[in-house]
Formats: sequence, C-alpha cells, structure tokens
Amino acid sequence: MTAAISCSGLSKRYGELDALAGLDLEIAEGEVYGYLGPNGAGKTTTIRLLLGLIRPTSGSARLFGLDCQREPVAAHRRVAYVSGETNLWPSLTGAETLHLLGRVHGQLDESYRDELISRFDLDPSRKVRTYSKGNRQKVSLIAALMTRADLLLLDEPTSGLDPLMEQAFRHSVHEARERGQTVFLSSHILSEVEALCDRVGILRAGALIEEGTLAEMRHLSALSVEATFDGAVPDLSGVGGVSAVEVVGSVVRCQVRGSIEPLLKVLAAAGVRELLSREPSLEELFLARYGAQSAATDG
Amino acid sequence: MAEPLGARAVVLRLTARRAGRSAGVWAYAFSLFVGSSALGYAATYKTAAQRRQLVTTFGNNAGVDALIGRAHDISTVAGFTEWRSLGILSLVGAIWGVLLGTRLLRGEEDAGRFELVLVGRTSRGGATAQAVAGLAAGPLVVFVVTAVATAVVGHDSSVAIGAGTATFLALALVVSAVMFAALGALTSQLCPTRRRAAAYGGAAVGISFVIRMVADADPHLGWLRWASPLGWVEQLRPVTAPDGWALAPVALLSLAAAGLAVALASRRDLGASILPDRTAAAARTGLLGGPAGLVVRLGRSGVAAWALAVGGLALIVGFIAKAGGSAITDSPAARRAFARLGDTGTGTRLFLGLTFLLVAALLSLVAAGQISAARSSESDGLLEHLLVRSTRRSTWFLVVAALGVAVVLTCGLVAGTAAWLGQASQHGGVPYGVMVNAGLSLAAPGIFVLGLGALALGVLPRGVDFITYGFVGWSFLLEFIGGIIGLNHWILDTSVFHQLATAPAVSPDWATNGVVMGLGALGIALGMLGFLRRDLRGA
Ligand SMILES: Nc1ncnc2c1ncn2[C@@H]1O[C@H](COP(=O)(O)OP(=O)(O)OP(=O)(O)O)[C@@H](O)[C@H]1O
Ligand SMILES: [Mg+2]
Repeated sequence: MTAAISCSGLSKRYGELDALAGLDLEIAEGEVYGYLGPNGAGKTTTIRLLLGLIRPTSGSARLFGLDCQREPVAAHRRVAYVSGETNLWPSLTGAETLHLLGRVHGQLDESYRDELISRFDLDPSRKVRTYSKGNRQKVSLIAALMTRADLLLLDEPTSGLDPLMEQAFRHSVHEARERGQTVFLSSHILSEVEALCDRVGILRAGALIEEGTLAEMRHLSALSVEATFDGAVPDLSGVGGVSAVEVVGSVVRCQVRGSIEPLLKVLAAAGVRELLSREPSLEELFLARYGAQSAATDG
Repeated sequence: MAEPLGARAVVLRLTARRAGRSAGVWAYAFSLFVGSSALGYAATYKTAAQRRQLVTTFGNNAGVDALIGRAHDISTVAGFTEWRSLGILSLVGAIWGVLLGTRLLRGEEDAGRFELVLVGRTSRGGATAQAVAGLAAGPLVVFVVTAVATAVVGHDSSVAIGAGTATFLALALVVSAVMFAALGALTSQLCPTRRRAAAYGGAAVGISFVIRMVADADPHLGWLRWASPLGWVEQLRPVTAPDGWALAPVALLSLAAAGLAVALASRRDLGASILPDRTAAAARTGLLGGPAGLVVRLGRSGVAAWALAVGGLALIVGFIAKAGGSAITDSPAARRAFARLGDTGTGTRLFLGLTFLLVAALLSLVAAGQISAARSSESDGLLEHLLVRSTRRSTWFLVVAALGVAVVLTCGLVAGTAAWLGQASQHGGVPYGVMVNAGLSLAAPGIFVLGLGALALGVLPRGVDFITYGFVGWSFLLEFIGGIIGLNHWILDTSVFHQLATAPAVSPDWATNGVVMGLGALGIALGMLGFLRRDLRGA
C-alpha cells in the first residue's frame, strides 16, 4: 500500500530562517496523525508544501504516491484541506460558498453535507461577511468533510470554535477514521490530539524531534501541581516523579510524571491547605522537556 | 472625561498618520502638475502673438470648456495655470477624497481594526469624529506642499505668481478632496461595505462633474455651476478673480457631511449600516461552478460600473465634439499646430482624437483594476481555496488574463459606440465604423497594462498595485504635461499613450497597436511562467 503522505528531506528556507529543515515523514492510509508544535515550528509550512501552495527549497513530498509539486491537481482530488485562518468571499452566502467549493473539488456527498450543516449549526443563507470567525471556520470544515476525501489535511481546524462545536468536530473525525480516511491534524491542543490521534509527531524549529504512538509518548504528559501550605513548605526534591520544583512564599509548584501517589503522601503529611493540578500546556511541556536541550545545542 | 487627551485622541492620530502618508504621492503629483503647467506655458508661449493664438483656439471653445472648465485670461501664465490645474486636479482630488474617506472609515471597520482601537476608549460617535478630523491631514499635506511649490515656481519672473495667490490656488486645488473625503465618511456610515461606500461616493463625483460640464458648455446655464461641488471649486477662480464666497458652500457641505457622518455613526452598531443591508439571500449558484464563473460573479458589478463611466464620458465627449472641433478648425493657427496629427477632414474627428486620451486612460485603469483584484484574491487567502482543489494555477491565471482582455475590449467598444451616439445626435458626421475602430484601438494600451500587471503578478506580486497604477499615472502625466514642456521623445516614449495614434482624427495605427498588444501578451505569458514557479504569498 502506498503511504498517504510521504516526505523525504522536505525543507523550506525563508532567507536565513529554516522554517522546515529536512523533514522525513511517512503516514499510512487510514492513520489519524497528530502534528504538534509550538508557534512557528513549521506546521503550516509543512501543510502548504504538501498542497503545492509553496515550493520546497529541497526535498520532496508525495500524497498517495503523487508528487505534490508536479501533479498537484491529481493529488488534490484525493485531499481536503482546512486552514486555521479561514478567509472566504464576503459577498457570497454560506450555501453559495459550499456549492462553489464542492464544484471546484469535484467530489461531494450531498446528504452528508446537509447533515454536517445541522451538526455544526450553521445558517447557510447568511452572507459570509456577517459570519463570525467561528462560523467561517465551520464553513471551511464542512467544505472539507463533505467531500469524504481520502486524506484530510487539517491545520488547527478548531480555532475559533466553541466547546460544543469542538465536540462536533471530534465526532466528525471519528466518523472519518471509521470510514478509513486518513487524517493529518496539526494542533496546539494536546487534549484534542490525545482524544483523536493514533500517532503523534512533535515538530520544533522545523525539525521532527519526537514521533510515536500515544502510549509511547505518555512520558510527556506530566501534571502541573500547585500546593499552598499554612506552615512550612516541605522539601519535594527527592520525591519520585517530581521535577521543576519552584517555591514562592508558602506556595510550591512542580511537575509530576507517572504516579502522583508519592507526592500526595508528602503533601498531606506537611498539612497542605489548597491543591491545584492541571495538565500542562504544550508550551510548558516543551520548556520542561526540551528547553535545556536546546540551550545546550544553541550554546 | 477624565482620560488624558493623548489616550483619547488615538483614533485621530492613527487616521491622520495614514491619511498624511497617502497624501505624499499626491502632494508630489499636484506640485509637479502646477509647476510644469506654469513653466511649460511660459517657455512655450513667449510672445503675445503666440498667446493670442492660444486664446482663439481654447478661449471660447464650448467643448474644451465643458471638459476642463471655463478658460479665463489664458493669455497670461497665471490664468493658464489656474485653468489647467484646477480643471484636472479638482477632479483627481475628488476621486482621491472618496477613496481616502471610505478606506480610512469603512475599510478600517471592515478589516476589524476600528474595533480594536475602540475597545474601552471612547464612544462610536467620538471615534468617528476623530477619524473624520484625522482625514483632514491628507488634504492638508497636499495643500502645504503645493502652496510652497507654487510659490517657489511663481517666484520665477516668467511666471510671476505671488505667495498669497499661490496659497489660494493650492487651497482651491485641495478643497474638492476635503468635500469628497467628508462625503466618503458619510457614505461609509450608509453602506455596509467599503466597495459600496466608494461606489456611492464615486457616483457623487460623477454627478457633480456632469453638472459642472453642462454648466460650462452653455453660457446660459452658468448658474448651474452653483449646483455642483466641482462648480464651486471652479467659481473660486483663485488666480484670475478670487471669489472667497465660493468657499462658503464648500465649508458648509464639508461640515454637514462630516457632522452627519458622526451623528449616524453613534446610531448604528459597529459593522452595521444605515441603509438596509441584505445579510441573507437565497443561493444563486449559476456562475459558481469554477474559476471563470467565480471571477465573473465577483467582478461583474465593478465592470458594469466602469463600463458605465467609460460610456458616459465617451457620450459627453461625442456630444460636445462638433462644437469643440469647429473652434479648432476655424483657427488657422490651431490647424497648423495640430497639423502633425495628419490631415483629418473634420474638426469633430480632431476633437475626438484629442479627448480620447482621457478614455484611453480610463481603460488602462480598468485593466489595472482587473489585475489588482486578482492579486487581492491571492493576498486575502481566497485563491488558495481554488488551488488546493482541482483548479490548476495556469487555468486560473489564463482565466484572469482572458477576462481582463475581454473587459478592456468591451469597454473600448462601449466608448466607440457611445461617442458615436453623442456626436451623431449633433450631426457630427463620423461614421459608426470609424468610431468603433477608434474605440477599439484605445484597448491597446489597456492590454499592455494588463500584460505588465500580469508580469508583476507572476514575479513581483507585492508590487502589482504600485507597478500598474504607477505606470498608468506616469503615462498620463507625461502625455498631459509632456506636450507643453516639450519633453524629449525618449521620455515621452515611456508613456504607453504616446504610442497611440489620435484616432479617429487619423486612422488607428494597427501595426503599432499590434506591437503594443503583443508586448502585453508577452507580459501575460512571462507572468504565467513566474506564477507557476513561485510560492503563494500573503499581503
Ligand atoms: N512567507 C514567509 N516568509 C518568511 N517567513 C515565513 C513565511 N511563512 C512562514 N514563515 C516563518 O516560518 C516559520 C514556520 O512558520 P509556520 O507558519 O509553519 O509555523 P506554525 O508551526 O504553523 O506556527 P503556528 O502554530 O503559529 O501556526 C515561522 O518562523 C514563520 O515566521
Ligand atoms: Mg500555523
């Protein structure tokens, strides 16, 4: 079976800046792949290269075995794309936009389109000019999903969507996976990627620094803990799984990997008054996990 | 309000800075135009006899009066400078004013920037008042620069225009920009989009131009001048017979339009309009099947407006052609002066040939607009919706170029037909075939501009507007002032209009036109090669 996406040595340089540096990527048909990375990592650059909207400085990319630069139209017939910054023609209505995009794509499941319109609660009779950002994003999502394309290239597709619509989006991605469609999902949102993806790649400064299944990546999902004490703050440096300890007055912050039990025991014994814990943001993870590493290589 | 002035005036300062920046190029063009008119006249018409000849040609010519305005005292440098610069620049200023007012009010609001500045700072009415006041910075910059430049040129003994007169002339030259910028601010409140606001403002310019034209064409209708903002500007006569009273309606209109704009702004929601706006509509999908249909659907109303403007201008030019032409042919001196155009038979043809330059310039603007719209669809991220689907880059590019050519040719046909109708109503006697041939020949520079724009789109996309509009402006300026100051032909040759034979005064030179259009086609081909190889680029 040919891979849905395969890149070899794919690079894009803007002046002095390596937006993407020698990316090798192989995504099988039917996979749901999460593409993570902080701002400016090169996620959008990768997707625009795959679509032939920009030219690589070196390297090449194929979609279903078709070269992205030389046979873009043949490749595009099997692809649907959603960008995070959706601009649409202000004078057209939502329905007209969907009609146009469907016709230009060439492939369209009309009954599924209607289902999506009601699922995403879109009023298609209104002009795009009057749509909010979230509504424009919905049009773009519906336009991509309604094609039932073999490969969905989604670049931060849920930006601007409220939590209810985020649910509708996840539902639609599950449907796509069940039908055997391939999904390439670029995102900032760790929970979204965790809920949807089989495999995850992490991009940083144009290079893929980590790739694997979610189980393999578990070690990344540390928990941030913040505890407030009435009395003295206990010493947490020796506790199992705890790192990045930081003390400010009677408050201590730290990160925990693996089981939280050893930490809880120490905190309880020291008389903790208030305890907050949350999943760290992707940025925090990067800082904790890779900050030191990049400082070492840069310096 | 307790807030310090600096914080409250943020909209004022932002708008003033942007208006002032866009005024730079106009200040330069206005100064250049006034200065070259004065110096060119002084250098070309040295003797009293030469000046008398000019007066017999233009001094009492209904056609020319209608087009540029009444000529007074054009046997003097000052009179000629007033006539020529006021006639052309007040119209240019009016168009600029509309674009400025609608861009900095409705355009900012459309783009969501107004919202950002507004947050928690000041009321909508207050912010609009600041923005309207900030607009004034544009005309102010043009006024100051032009006044200084005119005074400097006036210092030359051959010109002899005093500083006070120079100041009043500069003021007269910018008041149309002030009035129409205020009107632009007003239509920005009335209309839901910048485009529509600009179209309404443009219609106001067109109507006042036509009223002014009619008033100047017939001495009995002179009072009509008071019914047109552009007529008031003419009535100022800053150099030959200064009439400060004409400033009264100018100030009244500017203040009323600005005040109304502020009042209306505080009565509507951000992003909404005073005139009813259809926010929803039944789907009309007839043209929405592919790139060609889409370009037609999005561009048709704009093209129709342009065709109307071109047709309207050609109709009026045709209408006054016989009267204008007879004045030229009656004067042996003028006949001799225009002899280089070839023996033409009738004055009507001669007049049409000379004034069709204006129409050719309009057609070139139409062409530039087509490419500019194509570039916007790329920079706004709309084109990529097509290119990530089954539209080829080459298909889209050729669609844009082919439709552009079709639009320019259609406008040329409209111009020829309308001018024929106009002159036929006055029994001008020019056959339809001749007029259509002449009209179509005006498309040649348009197609050249289209090719230049396509080339820019392919290899230098961010420079498209600068290159195309800049080139049209340059060519037009050269044609208009080059004749007076006797520019070297190498420079004149860089104007695409200079290559145009003055049809229908002489028969169009289709060999030269073929070369010009061939260069346009070459530009399109090279532009496409570039476009196939480059990255899509945002603003
Ligand atoms: N046209 C361009 N010219 C110059 N630099 C660019 C251009 N496009 C992108 N870049 C740079 O390339 C790098 C990668 O950008 P890219 O948009 O791919 O990041 P991203 O991972 O999508 O980030 P985000 O999460 O913010 O969307 C950034 O440093 C960006 O500034
Ligand atoms: Mg991005």
